[in-house]
Amino acid sequence: MEGVDEGVAISVRGLTHRYPSPDGMLAVLSDIDLDVPDGGYVAVTGPSGAGKSTLLSVLGGLEPLQEGVATIGDIDLAGLGGDELAAYRQATVGFVFQHFGLLEALTAAENVELAGTLAGMRPAARRRRAAELLAAVGLAHRASHRPLQLSGGERQRVAIARALANRPRLLLADEPTGNLDDASAATVIDLLEQLRAERGCTLLVVTHNRAIAARAPLCVALDQGRRAA
Amino acid sequence: MSWRDVVALAARGVARRPGRAVLTVLAVALAAALFSALLTISRTAQVRVLDQLADGGPLAGIEVAAAEPDPTQVDRDDAEPGAPRELDDAAIAEIAGLSDVATVIPLVSTRVAVAVPGPAALDDGTTVTTERRYDRDDGPRGVLFETLVGADVRDADDLPISVLAGRLPLPGSYVEVAVTPTWLARFGLEGTDATRMLGLEIEVGAPRSFGETIRARWMRLEIVGVVAQEATSGALLAPIEAVRPARAWTLAGQPDDRLDVPSSPYSGAFVVARALDRVAAARNGIHDIGYSTSAPENLIASVQRYLRVVEIVLAGIGLIALAIATLGITNALLAAVRERRREIGVLKAIGARDRDVLRLFLVEAGVLGVIGGLLGTLLGLGLASVVGVVVNGYLRSQGLEGVRPELPLTIAVAGVVGAGLLALLAGGPPARRAARLPAREAVEA
Repeated sequence: MEGVDEGVAISVRGLTHRYPSPDGMLAVLSDIDLDVPDGGYVAVTGPSGAGKSTLLSVLGGLEPLQEGVATIGDIDLAGLGGDELAAYRQATVGFVFQHFGLLEALTAAENVELAGTLAGMRPAARRRRAAELLAAVGLAHRASHRPLQLSGGERQRVAIARALANRPRLLLADEPTGNLDDASAATVIDLLEQLRAERGCTLLVVTHNRAIAARAPLCVALDQGRRAA
Repeated sequence: MSWRDVVALAARGVARRPGRAVLTVLAVALAAALFSALLTISRTAQVRVLDQLADGGPLAGIEVAAAEPDPTQVDRDDAEPGAPRELDDAAIAEIAGLSDVATVIPLVSTRVAVAVPGPAALDDGTTVTTERRYDRDDGPRGVLFETLVGADVRDADDLPISVLAGRLPLPGSYVEVAVTPTWLARFGLEGTDATRMLGLEIEVGAPRSFGETIRARWMRLEIVGVVAQEATSGALLAPIEAVRPARAWTLAGQPDDRLDVPSSPYSGAFVVARALDRVAAARNGIHDIGYSTSAPENLIASVQRYLRVVEIVLAGIGLIALAIATLGITNALLAAVRERRREIGVLKAIGARDRDVLRLFLVEAGVLGVIGGLLGTLLGLGLASVVGVVVNGYLRSQGLEGVRPELPLTIAVAGVVGAGLLALLAGGPPARRAARLPAREAVEA
């Protein structure tokens, strides 16, 4: 495996996020404080609507920071927007979604290559990187398969490989086992933990699953947009 | 993201819905075919009509007569010449020196006697007999009197000459001649029979008067072509090298009104102006030198204006068809954006900028447009060719020269590039919509 990726410390103070609603602006996150050490592993739990995915979106740069302070390593998310957020996502963050988010028209290898493509990597380098990552998630033999030819667990492993393609310092997994059976879910979580250990990246996992949450050294519970006691 | 990667991704995007892509491309192709076919037909018709007006010569052609200009007719296309005036080498050189004149082709003509076998056996096994065996009541039996025109056939492209059958005599040849429909009429033939006359050998005699007696020096010529020539009047056309000695032989005899040989060294000249809009200036210059001219400049200019209007209307129809087809691209891309919201979100999540997404969808639109434009342009050329075959069948049945539909490179490029540009225009709104999708909203779609 090429290189060892580093993690990143997360520092959040007074994070508040609102969405427009028919009744005015609705706060989905209110005054959140959070500290995660470099290379840390955090489980974010809470009922539906608690603001877990919004927290991940803001930390991952899918949405601009509205209020509060969020520092990811040496990057202050305040004031970042548009291309700056895209550059942040490309350079720092790896996403794993519940719905896998694989492009159906592309093979597993091409899906993994996609992050390298967007980053402007040379074709040979990104092919080599994709092959390494697929081997790392145990899917080297499925490189030429399209997502519809893969099982749910395999698709999520491809998605994890893709999330690692740009050597992210922060890996954000939003309900990564939500669409998987227990065995596949265990495999995926084992893989995430193993890769985190190998690469040293910081890992935030949003989950409803108590057993999975219990595996993280740090668990952040949210309820109605606030940290639960 | 490099352009190559964008194109590769766009191609995948197009290919994921092959049925939709094929229908969209087909719509663009049909519209581009209509566009290019209409313009090809229009342009071909334009060339044909103008060619007809210019009698097969250049549009900027001017006929110069060996005569003085009639001051009352100088602005007329078909000006009648004034009193005869000798047109010699000095005059030709002076005309050639005018700044608005590109080329000057002098024409020599002389009266000749033509002995034709009666009946004449043609190559196709049939025989023909001249309906009028005598050009004048007191002429010898079996001999026609015709005007033999000599021109430098190397400049044939600059002369108002259309080959109806066969070819022009070779430059410098003393054994080949071309005849005009006037000649065919002598035998009761029409333009449709032109090929039948090819291969017939005739004897052409340059007459010389010895007072009471007229004798001729004969040469045997083969008819190698039938042409419509309007450079000057005459039923026979031969290389100038063969006509000059014949004329010199005739002029060396005693003056004789029966021979009707013009004294002017050149019977006329065909002048080509540097451009159509310089024809008037060239004609004025020639008038100032002292010679009468005629040129269909006013007629050509009027017809060109009408043809231009027709071309604009036809191009407009084609463009409307293209615009309608490109709306199909908008529709297809809007559907694609709706279907691929999550994919757009994922692309943004892994680092795609808004402009990367914009480029991706614009290139998809461009790919559909360019492929459709390319196929359509080829199809249009095919359609125009089919129309050309039908039209040629009719024209040839009428004894007229056929047309050759050609797709001008500018129209071909306009068809492909125009379809691509219209597709980009059509793809703009959906591409912008895709680019502006909020990343999180898209990824959770």
